[in-house]
Amino acid sequence: MTYDAIVIGAGHNGLTAAATLARKGARVCVVEKNAKPGGMALSGTLDGVEMPRMAHLVYNLNPRVLSELGLSNVNLKPLKTVSLSPDGNHVVLDGNRATRVDGTPHPEATAYAARYDDLKRFSALLAPLAERSAPGVSFGGRKLDKFSELMAAARIGLKLKLLGRRNMREFLRILLSNVHDYTLDELSDGPIAGAMAADAVKGSWSGPRSPGSVLSLMYRMSGSGPAHVMGGIGKLTEALAEAAQSQAAEIRSGAGVARIFVAEDRAVGVLLDDGSELRARTVLSSIGALQSLKLAGVEHFDAETVTRLRNIRTKGTAAKINLVLGGVPTFSGLPSDLLGARIVIAPGSTYVEHAFNPAKYGEMSEAPVLEIVMPGQIEPGTTQPDRHGMSILFHYAPHDLEGGWTDAAHARLLDITLATLDAYAPGLRQLVVASEVLSPARIEAETGAPGGHWHHGEWSTDQMLTTRPASGLAHYRFAVRGLYLCGAATHPGGDVTGLPGRNAALQLLKDGACA
Amino acid sequence: MTRPNTPDTLVSVKIGMIDTPFQPMLEPLSESQAWYSWAGYKSATSFRNVDLEYFAIRNQATVFDISPMCKYRINGPDALRVMDRLVVRDMKKVRAGRVAYVMWCDEDGMVIDDGTAFRFAEDEYVLFCQERTYKWLCEIAWGFDVTVQDWQSALCGLAVQGPCAFSVLKDAGFASIEDMKPFDLRQVEPGLWISRTGYTGDLGYEIVTFPDHAPPLWHRLREAGQRWGLIPIGYEALDIARIEAGFLAPGRDFQPSHKVSRLHRGRTPFELGFGWMVDLSTGHFNGRRALLEHAAKGPRYNLVRLDIEGDAPAGNAYVYAGKSFAGHVRSAAWSPTFKRNIALADLKAPWGKSRKKGLWAEIYVEQEGVWQKRNARTRVVEGPFMNIPRARMTPPQAY
Ligand SMILES: Cc1cc2nc3c(=O)[nH]c(=O)nc-3n(C[C@H](O)[C@H](O)[C@H](O)COP(=O)(O)OP(=O)(O)OC[C@H]3O[C@@H](n4cnc5c(N)ncnc54)[C@H](O)[C@@H]3O)c2cc1C
Repeated sequence: MTYDAIVIGAGHNGLTAAATLARKGARVCVVEKNAKPGGMALSGTLDGVEMPRMAHLVYNLNPRVLSELGLSNVNLKPLKTVSLSPDGNHVVLDGNRATRVDGTPHPEATAYAARYDDLKRFSALLAPLAERSAPGVSFGGRKLDKFSELMAAARIGLKLKLLGRRNMREFLRILLSNVHDYTLDELSDGPIAGAMAADAVKGSWSGPRSPGSVLSLMYRMSGSGPAHVMGGIGKLTEALAEAAQSQAAEIRSGAGVARIFVAEDRAVGVLLDDGSELRARTVLSSIGALQSLKLAGVEHFDAETVTRLRNIRTKGTAAKINLVLGGVPTFSGLPSDLLGARIVIAPGSTYVEHAFNPAKYGEMSEAPVLEIVMPGQIEPGTTQPDRHGMSILFHYAPHDLEGGWTDAAHARLLDITLATLDAYAPGLRQLVVASEVLSPARIEAETGAPGGHWHHGEWSTDQMLTTRPASGLAHYRFAVRGLYLCGAATHPGGDVTGLPGRNAALQLLKDGACA
Repeated sequence: MTRPNTPDTLVSVKIGMIDTPFQPMLEPLSESQAWYSWAGYKSATSFRNVDLEYFAIRNQATVFDISPMCKYRINGPDALRVMDRLVVRDMKKVRAGRVAYVMWCDEDGMVIDDGTAFRFAEDEYVLFCQERTYKWLCEIAWGFDVTVQDWQSALCGLAVQGPCAFSVLKDAGFASIEDMKPFDLRQVEPGLWISRTGYTGDLGYEIVTFPDHAPPLWHRLREAGQRWGLIPIGYEALDIARIEAGFLAPGRDFQPSHKVSRLHRGRTPFELGFGWMVDLSTGHFNGRRALLEHAAKGPRYNLVRLDIEGDAPAGNAYVYAGKSFAGHVRSAAWSPTFKRNIALADLKAPWGKSRKKGLWAEIYVEQEGVWQKRNARTRVVEGPFMNIPRARMTPPQAY
């Protein structure tokens, strides 16, 4: 039989694309190389404890994705953020409020609220851009596309105007600036600025002093704030899979794609690793852009496109450490009711920048930025008394580590993590019952993401909107007719947003590609 | 005490033009000592007198040093696939031992350059062209099993052109090329290849060899050529012959698309009159999707051959259709053989194709410090300006 669409990769974007298409009546088959769907948003187990394997929170999951697919069973629990300070003066961030751990206002509360409110307002402005195909830059081209693109741009322009003169100036001033200068204009170089800096650079090959980091912070703040998916992040991808399957989409796990078939300049199916072939009218790929191109064959793409995709920067910097602790840790100066918060070790913006420096020379941070989540503390009752999962994001662990990602390098990364934690939670190291370290190299091996990169390709001003994945490839169309990209490598980018998958599916339908 | 940076201790870096392997033999023959830089090499504008050299092309035999041409070797199991990916033409039809005139385009379907692809063997090509294009070839070849080498100085060559070209080569000991048809290529001696190709539209051959073979080759040709009036020629005479033959000069008749930054300065093969070469049916090649759209929409410009009234040199003249601007003359020459004022002109579509009537050229001529404007009627010429049967006859006749 011939499917209307084959989706490569059952990460949350592939699944969102599949569910979106299936709801419109398309016959869809998702093919995933791993045994379990989920991609980077996957629940795993460590020593019997269920744990988010890679991604652990949602920051900017798009509400439209949930509502359009009717995912009423996905429940999000917003989390406070605790930004730890070495002197014990930790900060609790909850929306635009900044307090001490005892609930009293933080001395910088007003300055923080002003920064937060501005960023929220501006990110709302950019949201419409993320929810649609990025405008294409072409000469000639399809007139209708261009008209609707113009209208979208005009709408943003109009909204900008409605913000008023001060806001408009401020927006344009900070848009391409760096988060370090932006926060330190009003805030001290402490844990509040540190937490903002950490949110801005997560997953990127950049530090808070890198230009464009304000923009990435806005991107991350475009949702309703950090939230835990009840039941674990895997519940989201499971719900997406069910939404697709309930509309008769097939999901084939353990089915890696070896090749995308192209006949007469059209994508017509895929060859699986086991040698079997599937036929389809369209193919959507949620894996990296250059990887997708190679699956289809370099010969089907103009050399300019190949060169641009080869030049996409894909050096991953995020590692993941999962721990099982034999008891509940104690963080100095942190009341235990805050253990269910998102705990960040980024005690200053300069600290974050310094953490980035070694990455430039192929070394891992000795004083890393950590983001810690304890699912069992967020959902009490889901854990056993002597088994506590701790999910930790580590920055920066460069993909191209000097000497390679050997066992010793993984052990070193774990050691640095535990030493860093121990400084804030003395004795934590002794609680460790089980651990696993996912370096960018391991993330790449497991998910196929180039460089193990969080976004499947750096999220930066030169690789966004029209130039994501590369100029000349707007509207998710991937040169060959009927071939689309639908993952983090495309507009608007990575994070668990669901937008690339949704937008790509809608574009394909609009193009009438599988009709 | 020594002072390290006195002029006599400085290393002198050689500047100026490079000699081709034939230059030591050519230079003493030049009476005019008129040289120009062709891709950094010292090349002759003329040796004595342009008219003389031109008539030798059409009546005797000439030799022109083609060593400065850019040459790239593409070699390996995927060589054919890479050539097919590069050029707009179907290279599967070009066998080993053949040469093909080719064009290649960017992603917008605009011509980057044209040249000749020599298929030395099943898996080995050498591409001859005007523009440096190594980086582009590497990009085209990425992901394929081939090596791309810049052979600009690894090979040198001579073009022997004119009705007596075959006779010269025969007397020089290359009689075995007698049965070679136009665009045939053959290794005639170790390290020496001859192709029946050229830039004059006349009977002619190109000889390609390694630099250390250059002096003996030269002397053989000189010796054999004496009976046949073989003379060295410069670019100016060749340029008249190539305009008569209707060959394009990159940078003059079209702007190589990698050299222009302004939009719409590039031209598609269709617009240059080479639509016949574009094979849209045999899989993807660079720029194919853009060319499909261009094919559907039709050309924006037409490069056409013009016959211009009078004898005023028409280079760069404006061309009008009635009162409206239609385009520019690119290359122009007085054709001594046909006694016509001929030109290649880039006209806005539909001028030159479906609308040809009423075209005239606005030519400015200077006489003793006074500029005069001449309006000359022009006619679009279908097909080549010249058609010389001897250029194609096999075996070639001895004149
Ligand atoms: C360590 C880490 C932590 C993160 N934490 C967060 C977080 O807390 N919050 C957040 O919002 N974002 C986080 N991110 C980013 C986020 O997880 C990703 O941007 C997002 O999940 C990408 O989704 P996707 O569907 O586009 O791609 P993926 O989730 O990467 O899915 C691609 C799928 O394709 C499959 N595949 C690959 N090759 C083939 C093939 N040849 N054939 C078949 N299948 C194939 C892979 O196995 C995979 O399942 C994190 C990323 C990393 C690396």
